[in-house]
Amino acid sequence: MADDIGSTAASDVSPAGSAASNGHMIVAEDVKKWFGNFQALNGISTTVRKGEVVVIVGPSGSGKSTFIRTINRLERHDEGRIVVDGIELTDDIRNISQIRSEVGMVFQSFNLFPHLSVMQNITLGPRNVRHWNRKKAEEGAMQLLERVGIPEQAEKYPAALSGGQQQRVAIARALAMQPKIMLFDEPTSALDPEMIKEVLDVMKELAQSGMTMIVVTHEIGFAKEVADRVLFFDDGVLVEEATPETFFSNPQHDRTKLFLSQIL
Amino acid sequence: MSDEIRKRELRGLQEDVSRATLPDEGRVVESAPAKEPKTPGEWIRLNLFSGPFNSILTIVAAVFLVFLVFQAFGFVFLNSDWRVIQVRMKGYMVGSFPIDEVWRVWSSLYLVTALAGFSAGDSVRLPRGRSLVGGVIAAVVATVIVVYTTQTGLVRLLAAAIPALFLASNVVGRLVPPKTMRRIRTWGWVLIFPAIMIVIRGFDGVAPNEWEGLFFNLIAAAVGIFASFPIGIALAIGRRSELPAIRGFSVVVIEVFRGVPLVAWLIFSRFIVDLLLPPQLDLPDIIKAFVVMTMFSAAYIAEIVRGGIQGVHSGQYEAARALGLPTTRMMALIVLPQALRATIPALIGHFISLFKDTALFSAIAVTELLDAAMRLGLEFQGQDAQTLVFAALIFWTIAFSMSRWSQRLELRLGVGER
Repeated sequence: MADDIGSTAASDVSPAGSAASNGHMIVAEDVKKWFGNFQALNGISTTVRKGEVVVIVGPSGSGKSTFIRTINRLERHDEGRIVVDGIELTDDIRNISQIRSEVGMVFQSFNLFPHLSVMQNITLGPRNVRHWNRKKAEEGAMQLLERVGIPEQAEKYPAALSGGQQQRVAIARALAMQPKIMLFDEPTSALDPEMIKEVLDVMKELAQSGMTMIVVTHEIGFAKEVADRVLFFDDGVLVEEATPETFFSNPQHDRTKLFLSQIL
Repeated sequence: MSDEIRKRELRGLQEDVSRATLPDEGRVVESAPAKEPKTPGEWIRLNLFSGPFNSILTIVAAVFLVFLVFQAFGFVFLNSDWRVIQVRMKGYMVGSFPIDEVWRVWSSLYLVTALAGFSAGDSVRLPRGRSLVGGVIAAVVATVIVVYTTQTGLVRLLAAAIPALFLASNVVGRLVPPKTMRRIRTWGWVLIFPAIMIVIRGFDGVAPNEWEGLFFNLIAAAVGIFASFPIGIALAIGRRSELPAIRGFSVVVIEVFRGVPLVAWLIFSRFIVDLLLPPQLDLPDIIKAFVVMTMFSAAYIAEIVRGGIQGVHSGQYEAARALGLPTTRMMALIVLPQALRATIPALIGHFISLFKDTALFSAIAVTELLDAAMRLGLEFQGQDAQTLVFAALIFWTIAFSMSRWSQRLELRLGVGER
C-alpha cells in the first residue's frame, strides 16, 4: 500500500482537477521552504486521499509542523506545488481563503479566542466566513459540543476550562466550518497526561467518521491504532512512509530506526 | 539583620505547619498574611514601631501629616474667604455664556447624567463596605461644596437633581433587559455628542466662541476623546500595514504630531489647518484648534494601541486565518478587542491627561476653567489662592472620577481574561 501511494505521488503530473477527482484531497509536489538561510522543507512530495488519516512523526525541527502549515498557507511555500481539494495554493488570495475555509486546523497551544465564550469561539467562523445566521450557527455549535462531550461549557470563557476541554473546543471550532480536511499540529503536546486521552478519543471518533486528517504527533499509540499511513520527517526531508504496522515493526532507513529507538 | 530574616523564616515555617495541621480550616489562604495582629496596640507596634529607625520615620511622618492637616484646615476654614467662588460660580462653570441660554448647559448635563446612570446599571459593584463609605463621604463633601459655592436656591435645586437623576436612570438601567440595555447604551454614547451639540447650538443657540469655563474644557475633552479614538486606531493599524505608502503616512502623522508640544500646536492651529484642509471651509479658530488637538491625541492613542496589538499572541492571528477570516474581520473581531482591553489603563490615562491639557487653550485666548480662575484672581486681589485652588479641585474631581470609572471598566471587561 505504501509503495502504491509513493508511486502515485511520484507519477502524478496530471492537472489538479483530475487529481481531486481521483480522490486525492492533498497533492504536494517537491515542496520547498526556507526561513532565511535555513531550509525547513527540502522537496516534500506526497498525496493524501479522501478519508485517509496520515500521521507525521519526526524529531523537532524536522519540518513536520512547517509542512502542515503550508497546506493552509499559514506558511508560504517557496517552491513546488500544493493542491488542496483541486485548488492550487498560489498567492491568489481567493484561493487561499477558499482553501482555509475547507481546511480546519488544531494547534498545540489551542489558540482559542480568550475574549469570546466557547459558543462565540465556535460560531465565529460559520457566521463571518460562511455567513450563517446566528441560530443556525449556534445549533451547529451545540451539536459539535455534544460530539466532543462538553455541551455544558457553552457559555463559559476559555480561561475557565481545563487544557483538555480547551483543545476539544478548538476541535469543535475547526469542525464548525464543516471542513473536508483537518490538520492537527501536535494537539496533545501541551496537555497534562490525564487530559491527553480525552482529546485523542475525540480524534479517533473523527477519524472513524471518515474525515481526512493529517496529524503531527508524538502519540505512537494513536498512530498505531488510527493511522492509515505514517510519514517520517527528518531535516526537511520525507525520509520514509509506510503503514503503521510496517513503520513501527520494520523501519527501512537508519534515521527512522534511530528515531524509533529513541522514542519507543 | 540575618537574625531578623531567620526569625521571619522560622515564623513562616511555623505558620505553614500550623496551617497544614488544621484540617478544619478548609481552604488554605492564598496570600499568607504576616502574623495576624491581635489588638490595635499590637498592630501599631508591629507596623509602625518595629525598630528604632521605623519609629523615627513614623514620628517624623506623623508630625508632618499633622502639620499639613493643620495648614490645610487653616487655609480652608480660617484664612480664606470663599465667597468669591460663590459670587463667580457661573464664571467657573460657563464663563460669559449668555445667562438666558444656560438652560442648554443644564439640559446637556442632565442628558449625560441620565446616560451615565443608565450605563452603570450593569456595572460590577465594588465591595459593599468600601463603596458605601466612599459614596457617603463623596455625597457629604459634594453637598457641602455645593451649598458653600452656590447662591440661589434654584441652582442648588438644579444641582440636587443630578444625583437624583443618576439614581433614577440607574434603576431604569437595572430593570431593562440586559440586551436592550446594552443596545440603548451603545447608541446612547454614540448619539450623545451630536445631541448635546443640537441642544447647545440648535434653535438660535450659542456659538463656540462663547463656550467658556469648565463647560469649554469638558466639550474640548469630549471632542478630543471621541474624535481621536477612531483616528488613533486607524493610525495604529496603518503603522503595521504591509503597504509602505500607508505605513509611511501613518508614521509621519504620528511622529509629526507627537514631536511638537500641544500648546504650540494650538497656537499654530490657525495657520496649519488652512494648509491641511481647504481654506474655503473657513472654520472658526476654535474648531481649528480642536482639529489639531484631535490629531495630537490620535498620535498618542495610535502608539498605545499599537503596543496593545503587538501584545496579541501570534497564535490568535493564526487561529483566525486558519478559520478563513478576512483580514478586516480578524482585526475587528479578534485582534482589536484584545488589544484595546489590554490597553484600557493606558488609554484612560491618556484621556485624563487630555482633559487636563484643555487648560492649554488659555494660550489661544479661550476663557477656559484655568483662565477664568486666573482672571478672578486678578479681579479679587489677594484671593487668587482660593480661586486657583477651586479650579484645581474641579480638575482633580473629574480626573479622579475618570480614573475610578476606568477601574470599573477593567473589572467589567475582565471577564474571560487569560
